Amino acid sequence: MMLWLLPLVPILAGAIIATLGDRSRLSLGIMTVATLGTTLLLALLGVSQDWTATLVWTDVIRLSAAFVPVSAAVAIMVPTVALAVVFHATQNESKSGLARLIGLMILFTGGMELVVVANDLLTLLIGWELIGACSWALISHKWRKLDNPQSGLYAFVVTRTGDLGLFAALMALFTATGSFDYAGIQSLGGPLQWIVGFGILFSAASKAGQVPFSPWLFRAMAGPTSVSALLHAATLVAAGAYLVARLHPQLAEVPGFEATAIAIGLTTALAGGITGILQNHAKRLLAASTSAQLGFMFVAIGAGYPSIAVLHMIVHATFKAPLFLSAGIAGDAAGTYRLDRLRLGRELPVVAALTIIAIAGLAGLVGSGGGWSKEEIIKASEHTGFWLALTVMAGGALSAIYATRFQLLAYGRRDKDADSRATSAPGWVALIGIAALTMMTLTLSLLWFSPVAETAAAALDTTLPKGSTLVFGLSLLFVFTGIAIGVYLVRYHPALGATGPAAIASDWLGLPKLIDIVLVRPADAIAVAAARMDDRVVDRGIRGTAACGDWLARTAAKADDRVVDRGVRGTAVFGDWLARVGNRFGEAITDGIPEASARLTDMIGQDLRRLQTGLSHHYYAYIIGGVFAIFAILVVGA
Amino acid sequence: MLTLAILIPFIGAMTLAFMPKIERETARIIAVGTSSLSFLLLLVVWAQFDTGAGAPAFQALTEIEWIPSLGVAWRVGVDGMSLALSLMSGVLFIACTAWPMENPERPRAYYAWFLFLEAVSLGLFLVLDLLIFYVFFDLSLVGMFFLIGRWGHEGSQRAAFKFFIYTLAGSLAILLAIIGLVLSVDPITFDMRALIEAQPLAGMDLRGGLILLGFVVGFAIKAPLFPVHTWLPPAHVMAPGPASAILAGVLLKMGTYGLVRIPFQMMRETFADYALPLAIIALASIIWGAVVALGQTDMKRRIAYTSINHMGYTVMGIAAAGALLNGSEGAREMALTGAVVEMVAHGLITGALFLIAGGFWTRSKTYELDAFGGLANVAPRMTVAAVIAAFASLGLPGLAGFVAEVQIFVGTFAVFPWIAAIGLLGILITAALFLRLLQQVFFGDLPKAREGFPDVGLREGTVLAALLSLVILIGVYPRWLLDLIGSASSAMIGG
Repeated sequence: MMLWLLPLVPILAGAIIATLGDRSRLSLGIMTVATLGTTLLLALLGVSQDWTATLVWTDVIRLSAAFVPVSAAVAIMVPTVALAVVFHATQNESKSGLARLIGLMILFTGGMELVVVANDLLTLLIGWELIGACSWALISHKWRKLDNPQSGLYAFVVTRTGDLGLFAALMALFTATGSFDYAGIQSLGGPLQWIVGFGILFSAASKAGQVPFSPWLFRAMAGPTSVSALLHAATLVAAGAYLVARLHPQLAEVPGFEATAIAIGLTTALAGGITGILQNHAKRLLAASTSAQLGFMFVAIGAGYPSIAVLHMIVHATFKAPLFLSAGIAGDAAGTYRLDRLRLGRELPVVAALTIIAIAGLAGLVGSGGGWSKEEIIKASEHTGFWLALTVMAGGALSAIYATRFQLLAYGRRDKDADSRATSAPGWVALIGIAALTMMTLTLSLLWFSPVAETAAAALDTTLPKGSTLVFGLSLLFVFTGIAIGVYLVRYHPALGATGPAAIASDWLGLPKLIDIVLVRPADAIAVAAARMDDRVVDRGIRGTAACGDWLARTAAKADDRVVDRGVRGTAVFGDWLARVGNRFGEAITDGIPEASARLTDMIGQDLRRLQTGLSHHYYAYIIGGVFAIFAILVVGA
Repeated sequence: MLTLAILIPFIGAMTLAFMPKIERETARIIAVGTSSLSFLLLLVVWAQFDTGAGAPAFQALTEIEWIPSLGVAWRVGVDGMSLALSLMSGVLFIACTAWPMENPERPRAYYAWFLFLEAVSLGLFLVLDLLIFYVFFDLSLVGMFFLIGRWGHEGSQRAAFKFFIYTLAGSLAILLAIIGLVLSVDPITFDMRALIEAQPLAGMDLRGGLILLGFVVGFAIKAPLFPVHTWLPPAHVMAPGPASAILAGVLLKMGTYGLVRIPFQMMRETFADYALPLAIIALASIIWGAVVALGQTDMKRRIAYTSINHMGYTVMGIAAAGALLNGSEGAREMALTGAVVEMVAHGLITGALFLIAGGFWTRSKTYELDAFGGLANVAPRMTVAAVIAAFASLGLPGLAGFVAEVQIFVGTFAVFPWIAAIGLLGILITAALFLRLLQQVFFGDLPKAREGFPDVGLREGTVLAALLSLVILIGVYPRWLLDLIGSASSAMIGG
């Protein structure tokens, strides 16, 4: 049972902190360190002692949690990165609603831990949807501006669309095996196996911001920068790649699974790379890069190296989180996220220096952790085919281009005589989070020493792929070409993506527009039309009833002997009306309704006569009468 | 004990009705007190209820002869399903009587009708005699008719009238079906247990089909299912908040409960033959309810349509559970358990949502979504309650709706894979429609007219907190509820 503590502690603590109301930055910082520090300790303890947990709902439904090497590594990475990011948030995000923001971020981390330790699809789905809901709340954090909750809604609905895949997988797995355990997936065959495999892949692709779900990552940028950092590095988005990596042993046998994973990953890596290059918005550039980097992970998984994907995920977390935090600091300093208006090298020298360490990983430079894991992915894909390795290298070159653009545009130096800006450099406490993350990513450079890399691989219960020198050389060439192109773009096209066709293409190559036209608008139109159709029926009903009510009042006022007469006529009118309604409704929807309506008309008409006074004691009398009638029937029947 | 649980609110109602000069506060205290007392009795029954494998299906039985020649008697008793539903109703009645009156006129009569309705509702779930079941089924209309008509908003008479006529037509269909069913056993009996045992219509094709049709039409109107749902939205819009909560929380369950207790249990063969069409109607309700709800601009109508969607899930689970006589026991049991959990969960969640909507009327006299915005500025506690309730309604894990829906879908998939798969769209659309509602009402700019919008008070807050804690408890640790309900569904599927 101990393993439940790992998700439960941050979830409960987060919920409590979220409701605390205004607190000072210091006390929130202390609470964050205490909570997420405890979570990290629990993760370490749980991994070392191999904790497990189950929770019984019914005889057949039991939630379970356990570690495998892959999940152990991620379970430790998540609170580590979250600790730095959330602490950064306590010191840097705006004061209004800060406790709620911090609490929700901690809760979010707990939900992610639940996803990581889950050992069956139901437990997974619970964590999976929880982090989706947390992302809604976090993206909507500054709710006074309606744009933000709208973006939160977009993100939640897109990821929930993906969740349907998981629901489908869950249903199919249970139908086949009578349980939700991951272990059962291997034994599947036929269409059910296919549903499970592709349901999970669909779901993972939506969370990981792969094509065609990628646009939600842009909308998610409406949230505070710390949220983006957490979302992209350690939680929601990472969860997508984590899930496929975790279940790769069970899913590899599904026909077409690996090929589809490669296709999705590769498409996203290239499309995301191009989108990133064209972006003029600092956070969106990073968001596109996340899709692309997650695309690399999908490729690695499809190539049969899920552990390499997880290594890249960990390294990616340590360089992507500080980059987002850095973009946030730059955005705050300049009052805009427009890359062509930043160039804050002079104002923020420390941040610029920290950023360059992280950007090296994004660019995939030799010597950086990010460079190492990207090379490993290239090696892994070489085993599938040289063409795949080549395409991944091209994706790597795109990364180098947008990474270079980001660094030079955000932290390049402007001419001294340019108009001076009143920016205040953040104090050292505000930089602890980003510095800690940069240290982590710097430490991961050690992976270039093969003993360290071997140890990491051994911890994940895997071996590293072997690659040819030719491919390594080519890859270096691609990276340096990318950097050169990046420098060229910054020098000659600094405002790339600010206006014109590039700006239009930079919004995920038009994908959001397509989704809007093909899905969102028709869905809305259908809803409105359906509501109107339902209303027309209802409206008629109300009018008809009104007519009945009037008639009722009039009849009640008349003498008794005339009541019956009138009643009969009224019933006829009512019946007529109901038949018309039935007819109209029937034409609109189905053919079967008029018949049912006619039956109803008959019954209503008959009953109406009994009801015309509308007084309750009459009604009671009718019930008693009815009871006697039943008896009579029964007696006759007997 | 069960008889007492029905009698106490009835006595309370009579007291309020015939004792003049009872002040509003006193009336409220009497109402809350009697419904709590009745709930306590149900808790005692629950404490003594045996959910073990060998335990009898119906427990806490009492039988008093009434008309022996016709096999009519006052029979009460509970299984896991009816106990769970009556406990939920008990909670909801306490909540709704404790909730402040929306239209503070004639408090004595108002609370008297509430207690009357409670007696009738508990009676319906607790009796084991078909004739008395029918009487309670009809009496529930009377109670609701007056609550909507007399304490509703302007024009509520018409809505009440429509509600009454429509559902009365349904209950007439049920009456005919009951007569048909009862006449096919020899000797005649209205004892539900005997009828379940006898399966009187096994092997009768046409007659069985017609009787089933009668039940399905009647219960579908009450549930309500597409396309006989159109009485529901106006009734909800016009009803005062607490009456809406009871209408959605308790009265709609009578339809689905009846569907399980009578056609599902008493005519298994016929039900299995027609399970697929029923599942298709349920699917239509799921999708139609969700899509139409998305198109609504009135908060209460939107919630009302989601009820149609949720009752669709319930009936889908029931249809799947009854679709086969043998095979897939595990999945069918899960579908049925899920359907009953959905009834309980929907009662609590939608009850809370309608109470919140009622709070909006009390404060602003409108339900138009456009009339609100940015309320999180002035009513943070209400925002939190609405967010939890909305997420529960859209089936977020960790809240009660998920426990129900996941079981319904998983169970249904084994029997009707395509229907379950298409039905998943429902949970996507409800997600969109609830988030839009929250966004429109609570976020963005606060309109000038709403600057004085009061947050939930102590009494409202306590009621909502109690309902929503139950929703969370069921969502996180549902075992106590699933044990109770599971004992009934395994008996129904296994037997």
